[in-house]
Amino acid sequence: MSLIAANRISYTINNKKLFHNLSFTIDAGSALHIKGGNGSGKSTLLRILLGITTPSKGKIELLKPNTKITYLGHKNAIKNYLTPIENLKLIFHQSNLESALDWFQRLGLSRVQDEISANLSFGQQKKLALIRVLAAPADLIVLDEPFVGLDDSSRNLLNKYLQESISTGSSLALTSHIRPEIISKELMLENFSND
Amino acid sequence: MIKIFQSEFFKLRKKLRTWLGPLLIMVLVLIAFPLSIDISQYDLNRFYFSIIVVALLMISFLSTEGIFLEDYEDGSLEQVYLVEQDFYKFVLAKVLTFVLLIGVPMAGIGSVFSILNGISINEVPKIFFMMFLSNLLLFNLFAFGSSLSINKGAILGVLATLPLALPIIILLGRGVRTIQHGIGFEGVMALMVGSGLLVASITPLIISATLKTHLE
Amino acid sequence: MFSSFVHRFSSPKSYVEITRKFFPYISLFGFLLLLIGWIWGLAFAPEDAVQGNSYRIIYLHVPASIFAQLVYFFMSICALIHLVWRVKLAAYLIKSAALVGAMITFIALFSGSIWGIPTWGTWWQWDARITSTLILFIMYLGIITLHGSFSNLEKADRLMSILVVVGVVNIPIIKKSVDWWSTLHQSASITISDGTSIDPSMLYPLLISIFGMGLTLISLGILSSKFYILTREKNKKWVQSYV
Repeated sequence: MSLIAANRISYTINNKKLFHNLSFTIDAGSALHIKGGNGSGKSTLLRILLGITTPSKGKIELLKPNTKITYLGHKNAIKNYLTPIENLKLIFHQSNLESALDWFQRLGLSRVQDEISANLSFGQQKKLALIRVLAAPADLIVLDEPFVGLDDSSRNLLNKYLQESISTGSSLALTSHIRPEIISKELMLENFSND
Repeated sequence: MIKIFQSEFFKLRKKLRTWLGPLLIMVLVLIAFPLSIDISQYDLNRFYFSIIVVALLMISFLSTEGIFLEDYEDGSLEQVYLVEQDFYKFVLAKVLTFVLLIGVPMAGIGSVFSILNGISINEVPKIFFMMFLSNLLLFNLFAFGSSLSINKGAILGVLATLPLALPIIILLGRGVRTIQHGIGFEGVMALMVGSGLLVASITPLIISATLKTHLE
Repeated sequence: MFSSFVHRFSSPKSYVEITRKFFPYISLFGFLLLLIGWIWGLAFAPEDAVQGNSYRIIYLHVPASIFAQLVYFFMSICALIHLVWRVKLAAYLIKSAALVGAMITFIALFSGSIWGIPTWGTWWQWDARITSTLILFIMYLGIITLHGSFSNLEKADRLMSILVVVGVVNIPIIKKSVDWWSTLHQSASITISDGTSIDPSMLYPLLISIFGMGLTLISLGILSSKFYILTREKNKKWVQSYV
């Protein structure tokens, strides 16, 4: 069963084409790896999937109503004047919060729990932000370069989590320059020349 | 909705500079003004109010300057959108938080300074209520301005929305005069309550559309 | 049905083609009317009993004041069209009209100010009408500045449209409240006589200059929008073949 169908979508910014006439579907229990060079519109495509950005032409359809989506983009959505735990409390409530705190330990962040988030390293902030995805079960997981900045053990944890989610019927759309250890469909975005 | 409100309150409370700063500036402005004129020559009581009113205007755009900036830059807006599909509740909660934590104390400071300048104690609740309502209007308006300019600095938002704020200032000035003269207060008050409710419920819709545009 | 109508006539390409056909007539006719209106008004219309010759500035001031507001009204219709149907042309027209609007509002303010010297004895009077015109002028500048601040032009178009619509809702409120405010010091202000009480020999040249000014502004708007469209769509094939 398909979760999302893109029908001939194009995106233009300041009258420059980013991509043109893309059609694809994302099925339940499958992954889509969006590839392409810098500036080819990978992040924009993810944002179109999320419904944040509207395509200039074509249609993107969410085929199942109330699809629960989790997303992590380039921006971590972490409040840097709060401690990591306070940040998690803003995102999660009750049962999900327990699972979030559990991930917090597994990712080895317990050492920094009393620091404010601004003092965390790039990788630590990325891990903290990833908990938003890890601790909340979702029908569709959308990740923009999730492996950047992660150490090997966290990368394995993430790979394992994504693999499990897919096998339990969730879908995944991601961009990554590091090849994910997940069997996935690939979508190649080419740099569009504007001649 | 209550959850959103609680988190907004928690975040703003943690940012001392954002809420305490404007209040201190307001106190300083209200102290600085009498010092800058020759008291023996002017009847300060007569126009001290207009200084309070202008201070309310300036401080409310100062305090809402970066109201959505942080959430825009750190990616929180996207996350809110994925859960809520729009920003109405989020904006409503955020603006009300700002009004409660900054607008209400500002109205308090304004009232205290109006006692110091010859308003009788009995009139203070009226003054306070009126300043609170005009802050509600001003915060909504400047939140709109700030949502337009978002990461382009305060000047743009002010330039875009200050003309729209002038009726509020006129209304407030009129209200103050009705208190000084002792007639017509109820009429002005009814107008302010009405427009306050209307603006506070509609503006978040417009701001929501603006924020969505910024994410595109 | 209406939406398909809007889309058919709203491609920047057909706009440029259509306006190219009409532009010479509109601009020439407008210019001639304005010339006739002004020569008649300045040289042949009778002297005013009270104000003498200084009243003759109305042939500039009144048309300018009228169009200062009409241009904003036009922009708000375009803004609605842009927000509802996402018509790009509408946004291009707002951007170009804002420049024309700011210019004509400035002329209205400036000519009013010059007129103020002989009649009121001062450049500036906190009169309700002048104050709301000044506010309108600042609104135009705000709109232009807002649009100029974003590198993503589609985003800028939408934000500008939102501001224009919010502004048009506020214009009557601003006018009303400024009127209300100025009633407090009415004694200091002089009301400008209503257009209806004016003598026909002064009125006809005035009507002609209003009409001529309207057409001249439309031609200015067409020029500036055409220039803007060609810049914005410079990557499109039709622009390259057009230029």
